[in-house]
Amino acid sequence: MSKKEIKSPPQFALNILRRVCPPDLYEGIEGDLLEQFEVDVKVAGVKKARRRFMGNAIRFLHPSIILRNKFSFDLINTIMIGNYFKVAVRNIQKRKLYSFINAFGLSIGIAFCMLIYLFTMDEKSFDQFHENRLHIYRIEEKSFDTWQHDSPDPYRKSAWIQTGLKQVLKDELPEVVRATRYNKGETAVVRYNEKVFTESLTYVDDDFFSMFSFNLLKGNANKLFKNKSDAVITSEIAKKYFGDEDPIGKTLQISLQKEASFIVAGVIEPAPVNSSLQFQIILPQEHRWGYERNLAQWGNFNTPTFVQLQPDVDLVSFKTNLDKLTDKYMGDLLKKWREEATVPIPADAKMMEYQFTQLPDWHLKTEISWDKVSDPKYSMILGGIALLILLIACINYISLALTTSASRRTEVGIRKVVGAQRNQLMYQFGFESMMLVLISLCIGIGLVIVFLPAFNQFTNKGIELNSINLLQMTTVSTGLMMVVGLVAGSYPSIFLSRFKPALVLKGGFTSKLQAGFTRPLVVVQFALSAFLIISSIVMYRQMHYITTKELGYSKEQILVIPTHTGWNIEADRYVQRFRERAQQEPLITSVTGTSSSFNQGYSRYGYKIKEVQKSAYVYAADAYYIPTLEIALLQGRNFDATIPSDSGAVIVNEALVHDMKWTDPLNEYLNWREDSVGLGSPVIGVVKDYHFLSLEKNFEPLFLSMDKSNVGYLTTMLVKVSSNDLAASVEKVKSVWKELNPNKPFDYSFLDDDVAKQYASYQRWMNIMGLATGFAILISCLGLFGLSGINTVNRTKEIGIRKVMGAELSNIFILLNRQYIGLSLIAYALAIPFSWWVMNKWLDDFQFKVTMGWELFTVSVLVGLGIALLTVSYHAIKAAFVNPAETLKYE
Amino acid sequence: MSKEYLGEFEELVLTMVGILQEEAYGNAIVIEIKARLGRESNLSAVHVTLYRLEDKGFVKSSMGGATNTRGGRRKRIFTITNAGIALLRSMKEARIDLWKMVPQLKFNY
Repeated sequence: MSKKEIKSPPQFALNILRRVCPPDLYEGIEGDLLEQFEVDVKVAGVKKARRRFMGNAIRFLHPSIILRNKFSFDLINTIMIGNYFKVAVRNIQKRKLYSFINAFGLSIGIAFCMLIYLFTMDEKSFDQFHENRLHIYRIEEKSFDTWQHDSPDPYRKSAWIQTGLKQVLKDELPEVVRATRYNKGETAVVRYNEKVFTESLTYVDDDFFSMFSFNLLKGNANKLFKNKSDAVITSEIAKKYFGDEDPIGKTLQISLQKEASFIVAGVIEPAPVNSSLQFQIILPQEHRWGYERNLAQWGNFNTPTFVQLQPDVDLVSFKTNLDKLTDKYMGDLLKKWREEATVPIPADAKMMEYQFTQLPDWHLKTEISWDKVSDPKYSMILGGIALLILLIACINYISLALTTSASRRTEVGIRKVVGAQRNQLMYQFGFESMMLVLISLCIGIGLVIVFLPAFNQFTNKGIELNSINLLQMTTVSTGLMMVVGLVAGSYPSIFLSRFKPALVLKGGFTSKLQAGFTRPLVVVQFALSAFLIISSIVMYRQMHYITTKELGYSKEQILVIPTHTGWNIEADRYVQRFRERAQQEPLITSVTGTSSSFNQGYSRYGYKIKEVQKSAYVYAADAYYIPTLEIALLQGRNFDATIPSDSGAVIVNEALVHDMKWTDPLNEYLNWREDSVGLGSPVIGVVKDYHFLSLEKNFEPLFLSMDKSNVGYLTTMLVKVSSNDLAASVEKVKSVWKELNPNKPFDYSFLDDDVAKQYASYQRWMNIMGLATGFAILISCLGLFGLSGINTVNRTKEIGIRKVMGAELSNIFILLNRQYIGLSLIAYALAIPFSWWVMNKWLDDFQFKVTMGWELFTVSVLVGLGIALLTVSYHAIKAAFVNPAETLKYE
Repeated sequence: MSKEYLGEFEELVLTMVGILQEEAYGNAIVIEIKARLGRESNLSAVHVTLYRLEDKGFVKSSMGGATNTRGGRRKRIFTITNAGIALLRSMKEARIDLWKMVPQLKFNY
């Protein structure tokens, strides 16, 4: 070839041909092309020759040539797979500890992801089992809320609408095929022969059974509730009362306002856990208290209503029709409300309009309060946490793989010498990654199966592993694993296959790349763990604060017992009788009653004082309420049963005084009944603000009253017992109850438990965060452990020399660990501002919260550092004790 | 075997291989065709034809003879097989018989 000019043919054409042509033919083809090129250069010059060369080369991409390739690339690979497998297994066995660390870390990440996946699937699956789900809508009301008139969204949206609406919808709107009302939550005493229990009742209309896909085990859906004494019970209730007998036709005595007889006309399967509608005993709507009265009252909103619409319904015209209905039945009422409102209402704001939500959307729609409604935000947060953990595990994997690569150098060198191509080596290391990932996958699935019950408890769900979601889960996780394996395994394999045999086999090949890459990885891992640590500590402190904060009343050793006498004066008389009887019992220290106990509902009244809209929470009480609960009375006096005018008096709290801007409350009157003649109820006492609502809310105005007819009866009895022997005290209360009230079931709960239930969901979140943090720390430590070990091994010679030169053990210790301290400090510096911001947002939910002080952060930094130090110390100490004579023998 | 057919170019290339004996490889055939018949042919077409002929068993190939001009790559030399020769012979005879029957083509052979 001529040396003077650069006349060479275009290389990349040759490269393409080399890849594409069958190898045995390629040499001849290439040679011919080159010869032709030479001739052309002499004849026509370099440029033309190159062009002709390109042309010729491209023409060689002829099917008859390309197809001569034996497409046996797979064949070549499967030959080597046996070897790759053997080598991979040997590698794992050689470095058992690190393989275990890798596999375990990845499998925890996978297990978490799978659990979160199951959680999200369960959330999405709510109510999906109804056949007519796309046609069933819940009617809701959106009304202008005068109590929030100056907030950006002054509307109240709720699922409670008028009792009379259902029939009107069915009669007047052509789109409506079926409709039913649905009321739940009332409990009543149910009796069959000698079996007496309290059950929860659900009131529906006859269309309920044909609209929804709840399985009717006995009874005819079309005939149910034609007879208004019908009752439908679940199979569990049937078993409870009737054992194995056929319940159809039997009579249950249910005490509504008074005891009434119902005939069991159907048995229905209990609703599954992922259903927004639940029921035990189902009765016709007509039996609801105040049904007749509510039917005509278009201003009372107390009944959720569901409709089933035509399959081809036009939702826009449906809405128009609803609006027309609103005008027809509520036009005058709405006008009246608008005029009477004491706050300014914008002209374009509707006082009330109807909305509707399709069935599949009920569960996740947080703006309408309903049973078990769940914030989709939670799924996202959980998903985020799971991905975080998986990320940490992947980072671990990469850094460990990179640092162990030093030991594979020789192998790579020899393989290349013997003829392995670069992509074969990449394939081999990818294969090893995949194998490890597969092992992690199996372990991960095992972990999921083992921890599913605990997870269910944590999240208050009932997720089961059946064949459907097991399949889905496996597919998803396999996919996930492919991605992880590719991502995590690709960098090490590219890195390893790059080694040049000449350099490697000569020895002394040090790659400084490792240190550079792993440091940022460690920092990221640490920062993530630090974030989780700080968040968990804050959450824990907040929960602790809430559960131990002084509430302003005494909640220990108080039993909460519903009197079951109905909504009448009997309740008060019963409490009085109980109190008198209990005076003979030393274990019972105090008895009182109220309308609703803490966290069992509340009453809130609105009223106009001097044209200003006011509101207050209202509790019925007797003279023993304040002393039993040990509420602090700041001014005035408690109720006195012997003073007859006290029955019309009220005791208020500080918040109400503040709200009413009174300076001398004991001389004021609260005209909450808007009595135009008299002054209202005299205020006889002021109590210190106490937390009758959850700590998320501030102190609201409240008054206590003994007024029976306007405020209520003492339907819930509070019994305070001595703390000496709690079990015996409960037994004593039970026996007194049975004595005085033998026909009613004895249902009790403890006041402190009730209050704690308010925070049950927060408790759960705390548990999950704690668990996630634990795992994140575990994985980070595993990673750090591996890294430090390898680092130490790399520097064995250096340590040996230093020891010979006279270094002390402590010097070596510090030397090895110095870099980690620096890294963790950087990580914390990153994590602290971020977690501060996130936790601030979370704490905003609470009116009463802990402050995030400096000690909090300092403590977590120290904790984190301590953990890190502990992890790396193991190797450092081991290295420091090694006899230099042995290490320096290496060469 | 004489029942098989060859395409026009295939026949041409096969004949060239027969002519060139020891020197029959891609470039030489292209040059030879150009020299004897004045016909331009493409290197890749010749290669493809040669491979097809080898599949059919009329030529066989072997590697040999690297020269500097080829950047050190060896040539793939094609030699005609007995089957190839037999085919050429039968084709030649068949053609001549046919041409003899065309009145305007007078043969002195």
